[in-house]
Amino acid sequence: MRILFLILLLCLLPVAVVIQDLLPALPPSQERIQLLPVLFCFGALALPFIPALFFALATALIQGLVLLQFQSGHAEGGLAPAILFFFGWAIVLQISGEVTHGLRWELHALGSFLVTITMLGGEFLMICAKRGGLPVDMTLLTRLAVPSGVSLLLAPLLYLLLRSLVPISSEGTLTKNPAPFDL
Amino acid sequence: MKKLQIAALILLAVAGLFFCLLGSGALSWMQSGLIGFLSPISQSGHIVKSSLGSIGKDLLTLDQLETECGRLDAENRRLRAENNGLRDLLEENNHLRQVLGYREHSSFLLVPATILSHDSGVWWNTVKINRGTKDGIATDMPVITDRGLIGKTTTVSENISEVLLITDENCKVAAKVEGTKEQGICAGPRIGNGDLQLTFLSKLADLQPGQKVYTAGVSGGVFPSGIALGTVKKFHPRELDGEATLEPAADLDNLEEVFIVTGGK
Repeated sequence: MRILFLILLLCLLPVAVVIQDLLPALPPSQERIQLLPVLFCFGALALPFIPALFFALATALIQGLVLLQFQSGHAEGGLAPAILFFFGWAIVLQISGEVTHGLRWELHALGSFLVTITMLGGEFLMICAKRGGLPVDMTLLTRLAVPSGVSLLLAPLLYLLLRSLVPISSEGTLTKNPAPFDL
Repeated sequence: MKKLQIAALILLAVAGLFFCLLGSGALSWMQSGLIGFLSPISQSGHIVKSSLGSIGKDLLTLDQLETECGRLDAENRRLRAENNGLRDLLEENNHLRQVLGYREHSSFLLVPATILSHDSGVWWNTVKINRGTKDGIATDMPVITDRGLIGKTTTVSENISEVLLITDENCKVAAKVEGTKEQGICAGPRIGNGDLQLTFLSKLADLQPGQKVYTAGVSGGVFPSGIALGTVKKFHPRELDGEATLEPAADLDNLEEVFIVTGGK
């Protein structure tokens, strides 16, 4: 069952990328909705440790490749930041799941918010480190806050959807005394 | 921890390290492969989105449709007549250029394309179009609309290409201002708001709002000369140079149909 769930999540990764590209930008300043971090959080919380790391690697590869920019044939950056970022968050989320005794929708929502905001913030800092300068203004804060807020709101919906698709238990996570998969 | 888990962890670490150490060539190949892999989903999604978006449009009465059909027919006849006139003018123009000794300035070879999606990256401005290598598209080809330049192709797969928009900080275009000798570099700001920034102008440049800006077409560059980029919104001198804010000529938020410049006629 866990293998099926992992395969389902892996299949949903490219679908999430395409859907978030097709979704219209949010007014007033054309903010984009991020579905990948929400899906990643669910996978990192619901899967056992090793599959969660594998899922993190797959997410990092897709996210890293989708955002990679080429200038005259040279890649601006590489996949290393994305891999380290998603590995790091997968471990943090696994430990959080253990501390809070299993997968909970509140943890998923909070995790989605934090992963999205740190991902966007990290991307911005990487760009600034490569191109120089660090412009900070209200637009930047809006660019960080709005997609993260939307992830926070979307997370419970995805949680309910995936839970209804695959009624998994959290016994595969690092939790020693897992609580039932519950709202 | 079981031996199998330890082996899986080591395998993951090795895989992670392998992907971290990949060079630009391999990454470009992987990105092109990913875009190719996503193309059926993207194209299906675009069709669904278009169908959903056209539900409202389909709900027209017969009278409205008849009126619309008549209007389009009239516009078609007008455009055909205008096109014939323009073709004559083009021939006359080319003839005069030859007579005057100028290099023949012919039109572009254009490949029409449809925008499939706007990429969801927050700090990058890119779109995907439904044309790829099988349509003769390569990297670094200018992409335009009837109103002006929109960007250039970056990653190209068999059926889908990625276009870096001029509002992206990485899409730098040599530009000239209409009616002046001012030239500069046009690109989007890092935290984009839809405007363009034209930098490296003279501090003393006398630019007025509404002045048009075109591509300068430097030799060996990507963009040919004379494509509309935008209009000046405001100009302000900086310590060493002048900077103008431009409004893009093309409506980049509502792109649907574009053309890829594959060469000159």
